[in-house]
Order: sequence, then C-alpha cells, then structure tokens
Amino acid sequence: MTYQHAQDNWFAAIVIGFIALAVLVNILRAKTGAQLYIRRIPGLDAIDEAIGRSTELGRPVTMIPGLTTFGVVAVQALTIFKYITQQIAHFATPMRLLTGDATVFAVAQEAIADAYNEAGRPDLYDADNIRFLSDRQFAFASGVAGLIQRERVAASFMFGEFFAESLIFAETGNMVGAIQIAGTTSFTQVPFFVAACDYTIIGDEFYATSAYLSREPVLLGSLVGQDIAKLLFALTAVSGAIISTIVGVDSPIIKLLGQPGGWDAFFQWLQGGGQ
Amino acid sequence: MSIPYLIAQWQLPQQGRLLYATLVVLGAFVLILGLVPLLQTLPPRGRRVLIVTITFLAGLFFAAEFFLPVDWTAIFPKDDPTRNFLTPAIQPAQNVLQIIGALALGLGTFGLVRLHMRNVVQKRAQWGYSVVLLVAFVTMAIFSILNTLSEKGVVTKTPLLERGFSILFDYTLVQLDAAMFSLIAFYIFSAAYRAFRIRSVEASILMFTAVVVLIGVVPLGAYISYTLLGLPQGPPPENADWWTQFLHSAGLPSIANWILTALNAPAQRAIEFGVGIGGLAMAIRLWLSLERGVT
Repeated sequence: MTYQHAQDNWFAAIVIGFIALAVLVNILRAKTGAQLYIRRIPGLDAIDEAIGRSTELGRPVTMIPGLTTFGVVAVQALTIFKYITQQIAHFATPMRLLTGDATVFAVAQEAIADAYNEAGRPDLYDADNIRFLSDRQFAFASGVAGLIQRERVAASFMFGEFFAESLIFAETGNMVGAIQIAGTTSFTQVPFFVAACDYTIIGDEFYATSAYLSREPVLLGSLVGQDIAKLLFALTAVSGAIISTIVGVDSPIIKLLGQPGGWDAFFQWLQGGGQ
Repeated sequence: MSIPYLIAQWQLPQQGRLLYATLVVLGAFVLILGLVPLLQTLPPRGRRVLIVTITFLAGLFFAAEFFLPVDWTAIFPKDDPTRNFLTPAIQPAQNVLQIIGALALGLGTFGLVRLHMRNVVQKRAQWGYSVVLLVAFVTMAIFSILNTLSEKGVVTKTPLLERGFSILFDYTLVQLDAAMFSLIAFYIFSAAYRAFRIRSVEASILMFTAVVVLIGVVPLGAYISYTLLGLPQGPPPENADWWTQFLHSAGLPSIANWILTALNAPAQRAIEFGVGIGGLAMAIRLWLSLERGVT
C-alpha cells in the first residue's frame, strides 16, 4: 500500500505547516490574555432553550453523534454533548445518547459520567442512557427513529458525521414536535438538516462549537488561527482565478497551487524549460 | 502487516506459527490487563502525564512519517524510493486501532444486551420489544457464527443452516435495510414541502432554483427548451455573436448545469475547506493535549 507524503507535494505540506503555525500562535496569544472576538451562532444559543423546553415537558433529550467513528469529529461531538449534559444535570432532565459506533459508545459513557460529576449530580448518571444500537446504518436509523417516537423526545441534538440516515432522524424528530439542533461536517447532509431542523450548524461552525460554548482561551485562539487559514485559502482561490484567467489553466504556477509534481513543473518553468 | 506475517519473518517452523500467534495475542492481553491496575495506582497527575506523553508520541509518529522525505536513493541506492523507515509501521499501527474497535464492539454489544435483559426481567414499559431484540440477536448470532465456521470447513454446511442463514440475512435483514432506505423518499417529500413553502425571499429563491434544477436535469427540461421553445442545442459555433451564444446557453439543462457547477460546487468546496481546516486545528489540539473536552 502506498501512502501520501509531504515530498509528493511540498506546497500542500507548507500549507499544512502554515495552518498549524497560525493555530498555535493564536493559542499562545489567547493564553497571554489577548481579547478575541467570536461572532454569535444562533443554533448554539438555542441549546439552552431546547433544554428548557425538555425540562418543562418532562420528556427526554436525545443526543446523536450518528455513525461517526472515533476521531476528531467524534471528540468534538462528545465535547458538545458533555456541555449539554452539564446543563441538563442542573434540572435532572432525562437524556439518551444513541450511537452507532462501539468505540464512541465506550468514550461517551466516560464523558457523560464526567459531565454529571462536574455538574455535582453523579447520582443522575445511568449507564443505560448511553446506548450502542447497531453499527449497521439502517438498523441504527430504525433504532433511533423508534426511540424518538416511543419516548416522544422534546429536544434532539445531532452533532457528528451523518449519511443517508440523517433525514430519518430529523423528520422523525419533527413529527413528534421536538426542537432540533444539528451540526455536521458531512456537507451532503446539510440540506436535509436545514429543511427538517430548527437550527443547523454548517461546516466549520461545528468545530467552533466547543470554543463558543466554553469560551476557553485555547479554543478561541485556535478558532482565530482557523480564520487566518481560511483567509489564506480565500486569497489562494481568488489569486488562482485571476492568474489562471490571465496565463491559462495549464500554466506551471497554477499546477503549483495543488497538483502533484507542481514544484518540479514550476522550477522547470523558471529555468525556461517549461511552457 | 499482520501478526502471522511478523511471525513468519522470524522464520518459525510452519506447524508452530498458529500457536506462537495465539501466544503473542494472549501475551498482549495479559500486558494490557496488567497495565490497567498499574495505571489505577498512579495519582491523577501522573496518569495525565502518561496519557499526554503517549498521545504526543503517537501523533509525532504519524507526523514524522508524513513529513520525512521518502527518496533516500542518493545515499542508499537500494532503498525503496516510495517509503521512509517509518512507513512499514503504519499498517501495524492501524491494526492496533482495529483491535481496539473490536474490543469496544464487545463492550457495546454487552451494554445493549444488558439493557434489554433488564427490561425483560423488570418488565419495564414495552418490554416485549426487548424480547424480540434478544431473540433476534441470539438467532442471528448462532446462524452467522455457524455459517462462518462452515465456510472455513470447521462445521458441515447443512441445508437447514444454509436455508436458515439465507432467510435471516438475505430475506430479512437486507430487506429491512432496503425498507428503511426507501422511507427516505417520503421523508424528502415532506421535508421539501416545508422548505419550499414561500414564506420569505430566501425560500422563494430556493424554490425557484430547485424547480429549475429539477426540470433541467430530467428529459422534460430538454423537451421544453429544445422542442417547444426551439432553442439551439450544444455548444455555440466559433466566432458566434453574443445573441447566438446566449441562445445556446439559455436551455433549462444548461442553466441547471450552471447552477450545479458554478454556484453549488464552489459553495460545497468552501464548506469542505472550512471543515478540513477545523479538523486539522482539532487534531493539533488533541495531539498537544490542549483539548480538554472529553480527553
């Protein structure tokens, strides 16, 4: 099996290095007391409202990380669920966390137990509320849909990686009148969530969630670093469009911006050996 | 690179390889089970230092493997120019992740069975569903295990086993999956109805665009544009005037294609860039143990 290496495309490797540097420098800035601004995200402000409604109705809150396997997306999703659990622990609102990945299930048990401990209500933790249903996509979907229907959940939080089952969750939640907040990195599922949920967190807002909720300097600094990286990508896209319009898409400088072997083509071009 | 392959590299006798492989796996289990109580004896600060160190070293391994040059043939002419000295260890590292996943699957299944057993024993609300789940779970597990063993020649493949597995898997599980998948069509319809209701300017634009794309990508769009309206089909001729160029691109299929490639695709790529950068930042925070959420 062959693996990708920095040597295949040094330009991409330099970009990765720049993003990492931007994130780390801004984390250091934030730690040294720099005041960093984060814009309002309505979907995250609505979390407290959804919890309040569940508490009033005495019906459970569901948290669904989807079929996310254990990785950065799962860690982010569990960080959000941990925050939500800390909030619901204050009101003893019932909760269900439903997962389709066994590794996420094992970590989720610990994270939710920690959340109840940190909220000062370890007595409310019940291991049966964190459920591994199935790792088969539609078996998991039917399990979640069935639970939402049977328990008439009042709020449903869907954060993680979703596939075709996303609309089954969102529409079932809509049928029982639940407040639904979804956030996903799977951009193909965003339209379904936008159509069926009350609030949708799109794209990299998903990764901004933990910074937004906790306001921790490390996370805020990381977010500013991400914005600088996005600015770099936007500038690259705009300059690439202008340059390719002027010199043509087969120019070595355009190849340099992304294709393997671009650096070789660029150096040949500089030495007069290329086009 | 599997454990039997590694053992084969040690040039062990053919007959003893399975035994050695079993011993290595058991040894690893004993080591891990021994580490757990050892970790419990450490104070929380010590445990954290250990976890931070292991996380950093594991991350460093993958980062070093990616960034280290692979072509060393200028110094070592016989070296493979497609990999560096860390590359062969990638597969075993990924195998470790798979083993952890398999162990976690056992935990997950245990949790599921325990919950439904309790439901049945304590006769909680709707405990009948739990009986169905447990019966289905046990039946499917028995037939699946026997079927796998029969494929390996360990047990005989009887007609009952073959027919039973086929009924459970092909005629039940796969069909139930298909039924759930089919439900999405109806859910799309109800979700689209709500999304396209004209309540605001944005919803109106959404509905208009969706109608153009829907009609443009099906034969009806081509029929309306090229047969009813008589618009010219295909790319315009060279040196055509602007009006001819406009007519060639005014058909519904061309407009739908433009919406998908010039408006939809860039927006999706922008989201992808954002997600990629966010994921990278998160990975850096996890690697350096700066993320305190669930770690």
